[in-house]
Amino acid sequence: MKTILQLIRKDYKLFWSDRRAVTMTFIIPIALIIIWGAVFGNLNKGGTATKLHIAFLNNSSSPIGKKIERVLDSSKTFVLIKAYKDENGIRVPFDTSSIQNFVRKGSVSAALVIPADALSDTSFGLKLKFYYDPKNDLEMQMIDGMLQKTIMTEIPDIFMQGMKNQATKFLGLDSGKAFNNEIAKTVGKYFKIDPKWITNPPVDSMFSMMGGSDSSKNSFFQNILQLDKVQLVGQDIANPWATRSVGGWAMMFLLFTLTATSSALFEEKKSGVVLRLLASPISRVQILWSKYLYNMSLGFIQLLILFTAGCLLYQIDIFSNFFNLVLIIIAAATACTAFGMLLSSISRTAGQANGYGMFLILAMSSIGGAWFPTSFMPDFIQTISKFTIVYWSMDGILQVLWRGAGIFDILPHIGILIGIAVLITSISIWQFKKGHVF
Amino acid sequence: MIKISNITKQYPTVTALDNISLTVNKQEFFGLLGPNGAGKTTLMNLLVGYLNPDQGEIHIAGEKVTQDGLHTRKNIGLVPQSLALYDDLSAEDNLDIFGSFYHIEKRLLRERIKEKLESVQLYERRKDKVKTFSGGMKRRLNLVASMLHDPPILLCDEPTVGIDPQSRNAIFDYLLMLNEKGKTIVYTTHYMEEAERLCKRIAIIDFGKIIAEGTIDELIEKLPYDETILITKNQTTIGKIDLLKSFGSVIDEDDHFQLKPNAGFQLSKFFESLEKNTISYKFVELHKPTLESYFLHLTGRRLRD
Repeated sequence: MKTILQLIRKDYKLFWSDRRAVTMTFIIPIALIIIWGAVFGNLNKGGTATKLHIAFLNNSSSPIGKKIERVLDSSKTFVLIKAYKDENGIRVPFDTSSIQNFVRKGSVSAALVIPADALSDTSFGLKLKFYYDPKNDLEMQMIDGMLQKTIMTEIPDIFMQGMKNQATKFLGLDSGKAFNNEIAKTVGKYFKIDPKWITNPPVDSMFSMMGGSDSSKNSFFQNILQLDKVQLVGQDIANPWATRSVGGWAMMFLLFTLTATSSALFEEKKSGVVLRLLASPISRVQILWSKYLYNMSLGFIQLLILFTAGCLLYQIDIFSNFFNLVLIIIAAATACTAFGMLLSSISRTAGQANGYGMFLILAMSSIGGAWFPTSFMPDFIQTISKFTIVYWSMDGILQVLWRGAGIFDILPHIGILIGIAVLITSISIWQFKKGHVF
Repeated sequence: MIKISNITKQYPTVTALDNISLTVNKQEFFGLLGPNGAGKTTLMNLLVGYLNPDQGEIHIAGEKVTQDGLHTRKNIGLVPQSLALYDDLSAEDNLDIFGSFYHIEKRLLRERIKEKLESVQLYERRKDKVKTFSGGMKRRLNLVASMLHDPPILLCDEPTVGIDPQSRNAIFDYLLMLNEKGKTIVYTTHYMEEAERLCKRIAIIDFGKIIAEGTIDELIEKLPYDETILITKNQTTIGKIDLLKSFGSVIDEDDHFQLKPNAGFQLSKFFESLEKNTISYKFVELHKPTLESYFLHLTGRRLRD
């Protein structure tokens, strides 16, 4: 037994002396649990960590329309965007056309329009227009569900008011009121019910009267709330799921590949090959550039093959916007390569580089939106996500594949990715100069 | 050919080289002998421009060596201490890669690869991956990988570490042949036998300082005695060793005593004393002094301590 304990002691000693192993075992899982907790914890509470942004236009002058607007405005779930900024930066209220363009451009995933005839005189139903871009399926389902839930919660009140208004409209204000009261008295007399209860019934008891369960209640409301859904983007895409998710997964694998190849520099140093190279007419700068260009080209080829496989296996359309896809892939590969070089420059060993790489890749992938929509995350994580390579690469790829974005649409993405690459590479060069690899 | 002037190289916790000056002549086989950690590899790294010195200058063929000066490196072939090879590539591919950095014309490079592989008896295995090679074969490949550009100067940093005697001899013969053909060779080792066998002139380095320099004969002549005497340890000699201390200093080693004679030592009187004290001659051996003896004399330590 003593021998076994000594062997265990030996293993713990070795474990603690390996910083990478300790990091991988404790710090990475804790960090990821915090990130996932921030996202899923809030989802489980029946909401999102942050408010969902939707475009909104109320063309109805009816009290019901105003009530819905008021309800959504005060909702803890939604932020209503009612205007857009034109080329001059002036805020312009939406109209039916501009609100659709707003969704088409990808500024928001959904728009709710209350049309002028939302509650027509001849119908008990409430008709709303719902424009959407299902670029992120999970986010779309969430918006759709939460929107219906929010309106449904308030709709009985609105509905009853509507019915009373209809009676008043047909009979006149005083006659209508007298008619309602007389009817209530008569019904109350025969059924032994307080007439006041009949003229202003509590919402829940109204369903009981109808003999309705929750499901029949929902069915009832579904009939009175008609969301006329119009998909504005991606209607023609053969495999929406694959097209939406390919970018995130591609970026994660690219980062893993480039981390591994960058850490190869340490193997070359360990074997003495770096010394042999530097003993020949080769400078450090040339070695670094060759590594950079090699990794970049490898990343480009990997992404290209991955997308081609996606095209062949899952009908992802890469050819109709191929040039722009290539541009965004080059920018993504450049930024990811810079990331790999940074890992090499700040690490002392290949193991350390791989450890840091694993942590940063998993963190960037989760924060950057590769696993779940950033819109579900707390505001501060959404802000951080905009500093990740994964976010801009993924969004750029999505713009190209999903929205068929042109070069001017993806220029910001390319610019930011190249900017990140330049910044990270500068840090790497500075670190390499005072670092341990050479 | 190589002029090292007042070189100092400091690491955060240790002074690796402390104001070293050396000159290596053209076509010389120069040895740098010293124990592990003496500063030999640091000096080699400075010679190829891998490191910059904190003080001093190095000139090779009249040109100053710096980290950024790539031109001087065409005159140098470095055989690193580690096996600086790509294990997953074939011997031929390794040489092709390392040769390509010198911009040698393709046909000429192919010829040289063939010639070098033949010269170290690896041509038949040229297509095999390096990872399938024995330690000796890898060492030989490591050596010729530094020779493809036919440099006039070869820097060998302990090129025979961890190999069998047969491969070691093959490397020695190859290096001696290169030296005969006019190559200048700087060879670092902590094996005095290697330095004695290969080098015409040596410098002994210890704790970053050159403590002696000259031909082997010149260095040994500096010893205050002509020979050392080894006395086998046994019950008789252990009991009577004190009786011999009047002839010189006695060092207690693993299985024998080493007697370093005092000035004016007379061999005849020593043997008389052995007879008088009934110590058999068969326990006594006379040894000519070696570089090891000289290092011991200078530092009080053995080379491999």
